[in-house]
Amino acid sequence: MAISASTRPKPYLEAEYCKGCLRCIDACPKDCIAQGTEINPATGVVPVVLDLATCNGCGLCIQACPEPYGLRPENERTVDAAGFELEDPAALFGPRDTTAPVPVDIPDRHLPLPASEPLVLKGTYASALGALLAGCRHVFGYPITPSTEGAELMAKVLPKLDGAFVQAVSEVAAVNMMYGCGGAGLPCMTFTSSPGFSLMLEGVSYMIGAELPGVFVNIMRGGPGLGNIGPEQADIKLACRGLGHGNTQAITFAPSTPQEMLDLTRLSFELSFKYRNPVVLLGDGYLGQMTGVVRLPSTFTKPGLPAWAVWGDRDHRRNLVSSIHLSEPDLEQHNLHLLGKYGAMIRDEQRSDLYRCDDAEILLVACNTPARMAKGAVEDLRRKGIKAGLFRPITLWPFPIDALKAVLPGVSRIVVVEASPGQLEDELRLALDRADVARPPIDHVQRYGGILPQQFEIVDKVLSLCPVQSGEVMA
Amino acid sequence: MSVFYKRFERHSHGEGLKGQSTHYCAGCGHGLAHRDLAEVIESLGIQDRTILVSPVGCSVFAYYYFDVGNTQAAHGRAPAVAIGHKLANPDSIVISYQGDGDLASIGLAETISTAQMGLPLTVIFINNAIYGMTGGQLAPTSLMGQKTSTSPDGRSTFMGQPLRVAELIAQLDGPIYVERVALYDAKQRIKAKKAIEKAVRLQKEGRGYTFIEVLAECPTHLKMSPDQAEKWVKEHMEPIYPLGVKKDLTVEPWWDRKAPSFEADKLLAIMGAANGAPKRYSTGFPTHLGGTDISFKFAGSGGDGAQTAALLLARAAISEGFDATHIPSYGPESRGGTSYADVHIAETEVLNPSAAHPDVLIAFNAPSLAKFAATVKEGGTIIYDSTVITEVKNMPPNRRLVAVPLTGLAMALERPMVKNVVALGALQGSTGVLPVERFLDTLRTVLKDKPQLLPLNETAFAEGVRHATPVPA
Ligand code: SF4
Ligand code: SF4
Ligand code: SF4
Repeated sequence: MAISASTRPKPYLEAEYCKGCLRCIDACPKDCIAQGTEINPATGVVPVVLDLATCNGCGLCIQACPEPYGLRPENERTVDAAGFELEDPAALFGPRDTTAPVPVDIPDRHLPLPASEPLVLKGTYASALGALLAGCRHVFGYPITPSTEGAELMAKVLPKLDGAFVQAVSEVAAVNMMYGCGGAGLPCMTFTSSPGFSLMLEGVSYMIGAELPGVFVNIMRGGPGLGNIGPEQADIKLACRGLGHGNTQAITFAPSTPQEMLDLTRLSFELSFKYRNPVVLLGDGYLGQMTGVVRLPSTFTKPGLPAWAVWGDRDHRRNLVSSIHLSEPDLEQHNLHLLGKYGAMIRDEQRSDLYRCDDAEILLVACNTPARMAKGAVEDLRRKGIKAGLFRPITLWPFPIDALKAVLPGVSRIVVVEASPGQLEDELRLALDRADVARPPIDHVQRYGGILPQQFEIVDKVLSLCPVQSGEVMA
Repeated sequence: MSVFYKRFERHSHGEGLKGQSTHYCAGCGHGLAHRDLAEVIESLGIQDRTILVSPVGCSVFAYYYFDVGNTQAAHGRAPAVAIGHKLANPDSIVISYQGDGDLASIGLAETISTAQMGLPLTVIFINNAIYGMTGGQLAPTSLMGQKTSTSPDGRSTFMGQPLRVAELIAQLDGPIYVERVALYDAKQRIKAKKAIEKAVRLQKEGRGYTFIEVLAECPTHLKMSPDQAEKWVKEHMEPIYPLGVKKDLTVEPWWDRKAPSFEADKLLAIMGAANGAPKRYSTGFPTHLGGTDISFKFAGSGGDGAQTAALLLARAAISEGFDATHIPSYGPESRGGTSYADVHIAETEVLNPSAAHPDVLIAFNAPSLAKFAATVKEGGTIIYDSTVITEVKNMPPNRRLVAVPLTGLAMALERPMVKNVVALGALQGSTGVLPVERFLDTLRTVLKDKPQLLPLNETAFAEGVRHATPVPA
């Protein structure tokens, strides 16, 4: 009891901030506080009245008051209570709501990586290494076949890099750990597969709303439901059209080699921070397991810290991560802002790979592993005298319509090859429709349930559409 | 009180009275818990380091008031978000502030798993026995018989019984300090603040996970005056939710995480990347096997090592500067089932990595031979284990059949496991796909951490080569 009764501050009350709950009355051992009798015209409630003649400054009333600016110690008085007039607090206390400084961006650093032999890696590992090279040291996941190996590799190597792998209690928890880590401004990711991706989508919507970065590697498997663990491409719809509730979009990559798994995972982090938006990388079960040659880049990234991060230090104290915009005009503005970002992605982030498209009359459209079967089919068909080409979207959203438009004039038929009931085709048709271009007839080769379309099926389909004239067959 | 913003800018843009009033109803327990927490953050000198996770519920807008780093989580997920923050910046002090619906209903899995994980985090759990924000529905902590908008006739056992969260958390191994406090009178409020102070201090000291359950008043949905609500908490809630310390371990500070490493050498070592270019042994692509893209299928059962052999082949080809791919395919059983591997080697680029019609089949057992022999391209090669496949029938015409006693040769080395390396030798010997030296170099590379196994593998490979029928000239 260092402070004596005479020096302890007595309470004071700005009546406007009293909600009339009366909790302070019981708290006072000296009966200094009583229910008031007059309605405060500004608030419409009856504030308590104080008679501090016997007050000993015990402070119990203050501790009983739920309002931060209700009962306060006299020495914190900011204005003369007698002369108090209701004003906009901005005018009373100035526009600054916090003493915290305005943070600045700490940029990423790109450090040299010594040259090395090419690696021989499976797709999931290549993706994990791409993340490490992009500066990711935080991975949150839940085991689900066939994506587990990426997480397992991270669990093994991250402790050696003083990073963290957390096996969450569920995919729902995993995505929210990403919300926290991404909210702190650091690169983070997860490996998942279709059912797990479904579970994460609520969190993805929150991350988009709160404008947080994060990379989702979804090694798609057979569905619906538990389905099986074979390769499928039936989450294209989810990634391109259904990232949780609300106005959501995210750049969606569809790699087709282990090398692309590494390169596009790296790029995913970059774009995720550039746009402050999640990025989705869709692989198929085959690609996740497929081993191939992978060359490492010449640099790697040491992440900085963006100004908006809720990091937990003085510089970033004023920051808030939230997807709430309570007033409708605010939320409309926010949606317009998001639409602006989506527009920039559509303009700047379309990516595709064109194989023998220059003179193609039959254009195969495929992504992920089926694109490789299609590539084989192109060669096969060319040997048979059919001018086939492969248009491979590397971004499924935004769909690379600009590059497609350029090759369409010579094309007499499009054949979409996919391990899904037309989800890639839907993206294609929508993009063509939006671009308002005349299109040739669209056919498809589809397999479902964990089975990929094979090269010979593609060739047979094309042959059925345009039988080879015997004279055209090349020897 | 400096930990509260001077002006609640985020509360309806801080207009009018809202700039300094909370959104809480008159007499709401949240305001008291906020005051305690704000004072604790100030007295511990951690305002700059603190990150407050606001939940979904009446305290969804806690970030209006606290001048600390703020984040707002999805319903029930505040502890997961807290983990993300704590691991991103181990120096941050992360406080998850949650109500009963958020913490004890929708977020129960996160609540328990986070508590058990035991990272230094602090959870402030406001238990007012009812849903506030959504309008007075039944909470997991509502009392038996309590009337709410979704238990209009009172809570019955059909709705489950009140969940005692502090006791639940205390019996986990992760938490170090768990206490239940109340706010209904001056004495309890003093205790509550002390408990919150201790909980946050223990986190600050890096000792572990702490949890404070606060019995709070929701006068609005109890349809009571604040003083009636205080009385109700004391007389009705407290008997079900006894106050006091539920767990208090003495734990030395242990939370000490280093900043992540970004060193090139460390990264390369972890990736298994070696410096310099590999030695080349081939003089050119083995076009004699069928063009510039050759496909192989290794087929056996789980223990045959088909995948390892396939991978070694792909690695060897890549070291020669060719492109190569390997795709495994397993049967539904994770052990002992079928195990097939497709390998492609291409001079420049493997277009299609699947080997529906391979140039070379390596069959480790009779079912695999029967299944795939007919898929082998005309003019292709079929290598099979003649130890286990004694009867060869119905083979397609125009394929070269190479019988090598893979299992027998491996048994002779007293290591049945190495039959896949014998098979690689047989593949080399019968097709000349890559030079012998290439395979041996690759074996040395993959076994560099287990050099004691190298002689055995080299011998196994040589045995395979020796017993194979070479490519006819
Ligand atoms: S400080 Fe103590 S004595 Fe004075 S009004 Fe408040 S509760 Fe009563
Ligand atoms: S506790 Fe605060 S808000 Fe409630 S009546 Fe007293 S002064 Fe007013
Ligand atoms: S509804 Fe209940 S818990 Fe919510 S602010 Fe009002 S009194 Fe507080």
